[in-house]
Amino acid sequence: MSTSNVKVVDRVVSVEDLRKSYGDRERLHGISFEVRAGEILGFLGTNGAGKTTTIEILEGYRPYNSGSVSVLGVDPAHATRAWRNRIGLVLQECELDPVYTVAETVTIFSRYFKRATDVAATIEAVGLSSKANDRVGQLSGGQKRRLDVAVGLVGDPEILFLDEPTTGLDPIARREMWTMIEGLRDAGKTIFLTTHYMDEAEHLADRIIILRDGEIAAQGTAEELSATLGHQTAVTFDAVADLDPEDLRIALDRHVTVRDGVVHFETSDVQRDLEALLGWARERHVTLGNLQAVQPSLDDVFVQLAGESVRDAREVGP
Amino acid sequence: MSDLSLAFAQTRYAVRGFLRDPTALGFTAFFPILLLLLFNAIFKGSTNFNGGHVPAPSYYTASIISYEIMLVSFASLLVRVTTNRERGLLKRFRGTPMPSWVYLFSEIARTFIVVVATVAVLVAVGAIFYHVHLAAHLIVGLITYTVAGVFCFSALALALTRVTATADAASAVGPLAATILAFLSGVFIPVAIMPSWMLNLGKVFPLEHMARGLQTAFLVPGSTGVTGTDLGVIALWGVVGLVVAVRNFRWEPLASGER
Repeated sequence: MSTSNVKVVDRVVSVEDLRKSYGDRERLHGISFEVRAGEILGFLGTNGAGKTTTIEILEGYRPYNSGSVSVLGVDPAHATRAWRNRIGLVLQECELDPVYTVAETVTIFSRYFKRATDVAATIEAVGLSSKANDRVGQLSGGQKRRLDVAVGLVGDPEILFLDEPTTGLDPIARREMWTMIEGLRDAGKTIFLTTHYMDEAEHLADRIIILRDGEIAAQGTAEELSATLGHQTAVTFDAVADLDPEDLRIALDRHVTVRDGVVHFETSDVQRDLEALLGWARERHVTLGNLQAVQPSLDDVFVQLAGESVRDAREVGP
Repeated sequence: MSDLSLAFAQTRYAVRGFLRDPTALGFTAFFPILLLLLFNAIFKGSTNFNGGHVPAPSYYTASIISYEIMLVSFASLLVRVTTNRERGLLKRFRGTPMPSWVYLFSEIARTFIVVVATVAVLVAVGAIFYHVHLAAHLIVGLITYTVAGVFCFSALALALTRVTATADAASAVGPLAATILAFLSGVFIPVAIMPSWMLNLGKVFPLEHMARGLQTAFLVPGSTGVTGTDLGVIALWGVVGLVVAVRNFRWEPLASGER
């Protein structure tokens, strides 16, 4: 039994082969992951990937069909009041009553919890001290969202669930939310963060899980994700008239495409292929206009994993 | 903090919220006073009740009080709970350690407090402007029907939240049901001039029994207006509402497809 107690401390959340169906349709096809104490886990996926289903199972809102789920050593399907005292929630859609002030809202929620933190300190932590006596209805979208977080934090939870905390916020409010979440990370909070923004996960999360169609498509740190997915550097330059792609293909030994006046190939050895390309250009007296070698961003990784190819996504741009 | 003191804190919080909501305040506190003034301006003098002539202002004071009890306990509670559910607040509460009963208690206690306060104002208006005499038997009848009415209509409101998916739907259904029942129950129109089939239809529903009981308490000297039949029908509806509410109450927003 002692080993399982250690596990509880190390692994705040532990999920194995979790399956969930709605009617005949299975939405989660046996996913497994864990959340360790003190980390921010970024749970990433497009709409419909199963993020909300997963977080709501962890939060004790949804039953599941099979597999095992443990949050703070308890199966959320059998949530007890003692367990609810230890978790904090920030739901994706929750509109707090607009007629109360910020301080009143945090105060009433603090009364639900056994070990509530100081109300003023909690409001301070989310950067709303100057708004403490303002009505919720007068707050901006970003401020309301931070109040949601205050309400999630006031019970001093051992794990905080943040369900798409920045969806719908303008870029400045989004940055403010990030700064606030970084403050929580520095304070050692364990956070389960869902988002459909790769940059958000990359910026905030210690580890990232990418969910696609109810399955885990990839997981790891941001660096690991870019590395293990074996992404190749994309090299592009403007096509010149009378260019023979076949000639270039032979010179580089790479798959070369020409589309919309741009020559494109991918490589895992940029230096070798650029040398070969420059040699080829010198021999044929070709000027390589607009030559670029672009490292794939995590956004590209995500877009590709989410089902679209990187190339298609790029073509949407200018 | 014990659960009971939490329940009282939650009730104070709910009452404070009600006092800050101009729509709810106007609809449940000022509107009935306006109705009372209007009816008494239109129907002056006396009206027929139980075969005798009675003062119209006493008839309408009793009627509007019964309407008010239904308006606050049924329409207003239905709108408030449905709105909070649509906002995701009920789901949010459900995710905290607060016991479910604390929230439901606070909403019903808030309803009771608002009913008592507004009924007191209506009685005061009747006594001051329309010479309604506050006899002991009347007070007994008033307290009995207020308690029974709040129980019955609150339970029915909570039961009906199962089908009112949105605040808009609740805002239409609640007041509409209260108004139609008020017409069927001889609240707005004196029973003496109503067709008998309509009165018989009205008797199926609890408002008719509450209105008739209160009218008796206000109009018949020495009578509390409390009868086993009237109280029984109100209690029966209340118990049915309670059973449906307990078995079907939803804490999460109803998806538009899920009815």
